[in-house]
Amino acid sequence: MAEERTGQLAFAEDLARQGQVAPAVEACYHALRVDADDPLAHCLLAELMLSGDFYDEAIHAASRAIEIDPGCAPAYLALGLAYDRRGGMWDQSILVWHELAEVVPDLVTAHVQLGEAFGAAAFEEDAIAAWRRALELDPGEARAMYNLAVAALKREGVATALPGFRKAGELDPTQDDLFFALAGVYDDGEPAPDPADVPADRASRLAAAYALAFEEDFFSAADLLRLVLDEGADDAEALGLAAYLYLKQEAVNEAMACALRSLTISARTPTAVYCLGVAFSKRPGLARHAARVFSALAKAVSDHPIPHVLYAESLLALQRYSAAQQSYRTAIALDPACVRARFGLAAALLTEGRHAEADWEIRRAAYHDTRRQGLFWALYDEYAEGR
Amino acid sequence: MPTRRKGPRDRRAATPGPVTSHEETTSAEGPPEAEDAPATPVPDAPVAGECEPSENAGAEEAGADAGFPSAEEVDDAAAESATASRHARRNLLFPLGVNYYPLDAETQGADDWYAADIDADFAKFSRARLTLVRVFVSWRFFEPQVGQYSDEAEERLQELVDAARTHKLQLLVCFFADDRLAEMLDVPWGKKRDPHEDSYLVQRQTGLVQRIVNRYRAEGAVFGWDLANEAFCSGFSSAEQMAAWVATMRDAVREIDQTRPIVLSCDPETLFRGTGVDARDVIDANEIGVSHVTAAYRAYAAEGPLTFGPSSYLDAFLLRCASRGTPVLLDDVGVHSLDHSHAEEAAHLRAVLYSGIMNRASGVLVRRWRDVDVERREPYFRDPFEVLVGVRDIDGEEKPTMSELRSFARVVARIDLRRYTLTQERTAIVVPDERFDPLPDLSSLYDPRSCLQAFVTAKEAHVPVTVIYESEEYAPYSVLVVPSVFELADTTWERLAGFVQGGGSLVYSYGGGDEPQAVRDLFGVEFLGDGGARSVVACRIAQPDVLGPLVSFDARLELPSFAQLCGGGATIVATDATGSPLLTVNQFGQGRAVFLAAPFERAIAQGDPWAVPEAVARFLRTVYGSVAGAAGCGAPVTCDAPEVEVALFAGEGDDIVVLLNHGRTAVTANVAFERNVTTIADVRGGEPVEIGAAFFGVPLDPGGASALTLRYG
Amino acid sequence: MADDAASRLYQAFVSQDPAAAISVIEEVRAGGVDQGVLFDSLFAPAMAMLGGAWAGGVIDEYAFTQAAVVAEQVTSFVTPPATATDTGITILIGAMHRDHHAIDKNIVAAALKEAGHRIIDLGVDVRPADFLDRAEETGARIAIVSAQMMSTARAVGRVREMFAASGRDDLILLVSGGPFAADPALAREIGANGVIKGAESAIRLVDRVARERLGTGGD
Repeated sequence: MAEERTGQLAFAEDLARQGQVAPAVEACYHALRVDADDPLAHCLLAELMLSGDFYDEAIHAASRAIEIDPGCAPAYLALGLAYDRRGGMWDQSILVWHELAEVVPDLVTAHVQLGEAFGAAAFEEDAIAAWRRALELDPGEARAMYNLAVAALKREGVATALPGFRKAGELDPTQDDLFFALAGVYDDGEPAPDPADVPADRASRLAAAYALAFEEDFFSAADLLRLVLDEGADDAEALGLAAYLYLKQEAVNEAMACALRSLTISARTPTAVYCLGVAFSKRPGLARHAARVFSALAKAVSDHPIPHVLYAESLLALQRYSAAQQSYRTAIALDPACVRARFGLAAALLTEGRHAEADWEIRRAAYHDTRRQGLFWALYDEYAEGR
Repeated sequence: MPTRRKGPRDRRAATPGPVTSHEETTSAEGPPEAEDAPATPVPDAPVAGECEPSENAGAEEAGADAGFPSAEEVDDAAAESATASRHARRNLLFPLGVNYYPLDAETQGADDWYAADIDADFAKFSRARLTLVRVFVSWRFFEPQVGQYSDEAEERLQELVDAARTHKLQLLVCFFADDRLAEMLDVPWGKKRDPHEDSYLVQRQTGLVQRIVNRYRAEGAVFGWDLANEAFCSGFSSAEQMAAWVATMRDAVREIDQTRPIVLSCDPETLFRGTGVDARDVIDANEIGVSHVTAAYRAYAAEGPLTFGPSSYLDAFLLRCASRGTPVLLDDVGVHSLDHSHAEEAAHLRAVLYSGIMNRASGVLVRRWRDVDVERREPYFRDPFEVLVGVRDIDGEEKPTMSELRSFARVVARIDLRRYTLTQERTAIVVPDERFDPLPDLSSLYDPRSCLQAFVTAKEAHVPVTVIYESEEYAPYSVLVVPSVFELADTTWERLAGFVQGGGSLVYSYGGGDEPQAVRDLFGVEFLGDGGARSVVACRIAQPDVLGPLVSFDARLELPSFAQLCGGGATIVATDATGSPLLTVNQFGQGRAVFLAAPFERAIAQGDPWAVPEAVARFLRTVYGSVAGAAGCGAPVTCDAPEVEVALFAGEGDDIVVLLNHGRTAVTANVAFERNVTTIADVRGGEPVEIGAAFFGVPLDPGGASALTLRYG
Repeated sequence: MADDAASRLYQAFVSQDPAAAISVIEEVRAGGVDQGVLFDSLFAPAMAMLGGAWAGGVIDEYAFTQAAVVAEQVTSFVTPPATATDTGITILIGAMHRDHHAIDKNIVAAALKEAGHRIIDLGVDVRPADFLDRAEETGARIAIVSAQMMSTARAVGRVREMFAASGRDDLILLVSGGPFAADPALAREIGANGVIKGAESAIRLVDRVARERLGTGGD
């Protein structure tokens, strides 16, 4: 029987990992017919139901798994996410995330979700503590930062919250993705070349510099860039990348200088336009300039969500909240999973007192963020191994 | 269109509205009174401009010293000060009412059953032009000991009846209800036995029912008997068990009262979703059906903002699902939780009220009269039988929802359903029977969402549409939409083939998996297999204008499946980027069969229905709209705003058009008619505005609604 | 002239001479160039030159960084102010007595402050008399009262009554909150002069009131 159970469950797991929800559910049912008390099968079923947005079914399956084994961490995750995505079950949700934070203390997402559950239940102080705890565990946790920005907005208004949004946006990898998309650089899976092996021509050096920047080896990228500029100083593209490298080192004025020089050479260098906008947005007095630059970028790259988000953020800084809403919505229409746009839209909605809609946008951001993370399988494998 | 078809059943024809006599109706609809003047004068606006402003959602901020009080305020003030004998115009063919629960605070106990000032509340109902009040019997309070009935309970019930009579209201008396507050079912002598099947308890229930029915068998203030609400019915473990209980109770009523309608306040779809019990036949055995959205169902079907987008169509969708030959009361209208602002509550209520009359509700009952004064606890606990939110707050203050209700009452009071007929729906969304299959078959979870999305799409194409189940009769319809289905019964394929052969039009979207041979014959395509998931929809138009003004596009949408097809006899209207058919149309017999190669409706529903790529939404509604248009049952009114739902009530010399904006932003809906419209006027009366054209614009706020009388040249 | 000034500013940057940089800016400003355009007409061209100098190897990395530091030091001379200039309009804001909803009030208050108005935030659960007292004390001519519940929204009428009883009919009463957003008639009923439906609406409405009723401020 144990063998049959293992076989059925393994089959269900394989299907689930391939994203074949319907046959995986069926396989789980088979496994449960062999052993109705297998927590793994129940929590796998919960995850599958969650992937189809069938929250009540997910809650049922995850609860059963926890009933059988109160130490079943992946089931807590599925249960908490099901409560949160379903909405309206914050009291249960808080308990679940507390439990999970105890079972897996370093699970950042548990703290972020706990904060959101507290926030939805109007326990603002507890929520803030939970998000801070998440940031202690992982200072790069963008959603905790976004949530803290929203909390600041509720207390002190947009101006106070905006730096938080921008900071979170920088933690969010989508902004870098935009830069490289503007440069026409995509991840081809190949590692960046060793700078020593790069052929001594402008195109190869520039391509290699982009590849190194993509891998966050900024110093090697800068060295190559220097060689490119030494060959020809009026290279708008190279200056666009230089501006980006400076931005990554928080050297805003250098970035601005490079971007402005780049645009003097060629006014249509998208990477430089982007860097200039980002540099402007870091200066509170240059909100109008940032809006102008990002407006142009959003028009030029209208099919990418992030320029619309950046434009929306600059509109928030100008207190043009309804226009910001419109830009955020454009971004969401382009990419419903854009967490940054969801949080920004929530902020804009809050300025109009539309709390229920704002809460939904935050929930939706969590929805996409947690789906992207794919935490379930890490917890599941760890739990399965430990049995 | 073939004329051999009989028309769809007229669900309203059998409506036994709470009307006791024709005289009463007539007298209630006497000459217009001053209070029925329009809320806002209709300004002069000939074409595409500013006619009657929509209802007040989203109205701009009042400017300094804006003129007030408004006509509406004067009107309402007049209504408030009216004497009890002077009743405002009401529409007795479209009862508008409220659930009047026995307790208003968590601190109250079971013995506080209707201890409030009943007469005062009923006077308010009357002034708000309500006509129907559902009241809830407390078994516990009535029968504190076995066989011994409480005099006090009977006196209070009498007070309710007296108050209804005094204020010319009618009662729907619900016998067995759970509101999670008044413990109405918890008879202390019940010894935890199951009231759904324990023969002794059922016998006691019968005794209570007969006692009350007998006492009020000749009482004009009682409209009908409601056997139980959904919270009680959720305790049945099978349809058979439920059928037996309902039959017993119906017999108990019918022994004494053979005429009044009997209701079972269960929505078949939400009950099935909540319990797995398919009670359609049990519910249909009663004279009036009920539809309502539960919190759990909303979380399942349309989890998202309440006031716009798909969730604003959900009440209408369930109303259509529940409509199977009997009139259906749109019940429990209103938000579920207390965490919406008053503005959101009002916007939601407005959308549902207007949806109701535009989708053939036979009446509306709002969720409850007064908010429950809950213990000040956080977080707030909610459950599927949420009854906490009323149209008045805990202090009895009117909330903006009350204004919405009153405003709507004034609109429906002027829509005489004997004079005006809603355009017949000849397009139906078909809910496949696989929806009732148990897990692990996921069809039961996917299909309702797909069907809701198809319903929304048809509405966006302004096609008059209803919802039927696979096993129902197809003959009354000209167009059937079978959205994103996994599997249909063999007999259904035969019936669909017969339907198309006889002149019907079928829109079918592939749902995944294998397709039967019938697909080849009916759709004229060869099915080669499921090509698997795609994350981008690429559409290239091969035959422009065959199915409406389609345009090529690329859009991000997670399609779970894509049917690989090769040519048969069908016309390939559109393909994907590599030439694989995406949309085909096949002439089959006298009719047309349209095949969409991917489960678009499911993909939209499972993605983010609030952020559907516009290109995909336009593609789908163009297909639906053009198929219905070609079948002669397209939009009765052309409207350039897809988010605006339009309903046309045709009269003899004039028509009424009702518009409801399901969008989140204000819009001017440009509507065009087949005839020249000479004047338009707010249905509530007032000065007509000259139009002199076949089209004009109606500005609508977000969630705004407008009802206009049209006269033609 | 402008090009020349930009060159001199650039020179000041590379010479790491903030005093010279400031002199250039003051000189240009004294020549009639508006603060709002200093950045575009002077600072940006100088920065572009700086970028060009670094790209061309005229200055090395270290000099570039030092020049950037000087640029940082003078940035405040060339950028428009981060917040709007003081409008001189004092506004009281608070949530009505027995109403503890603070979020909308906080956001509106911050937005108005950002727009240059003088905001006196009385907090939540504010009695009508407190609005009057603080209006007398501060000379405020506008009071924004927020209420999220029907009972507290209706009670805002008491603020108007109190203003009237004290002969302060001139005080502008603006209201905000869900009940008013849903039903503008309610605002008229309680004697409000306008309904605020969010932060942007607040800025617009206060500007309008300032223009039409106070004869000051506003765009």
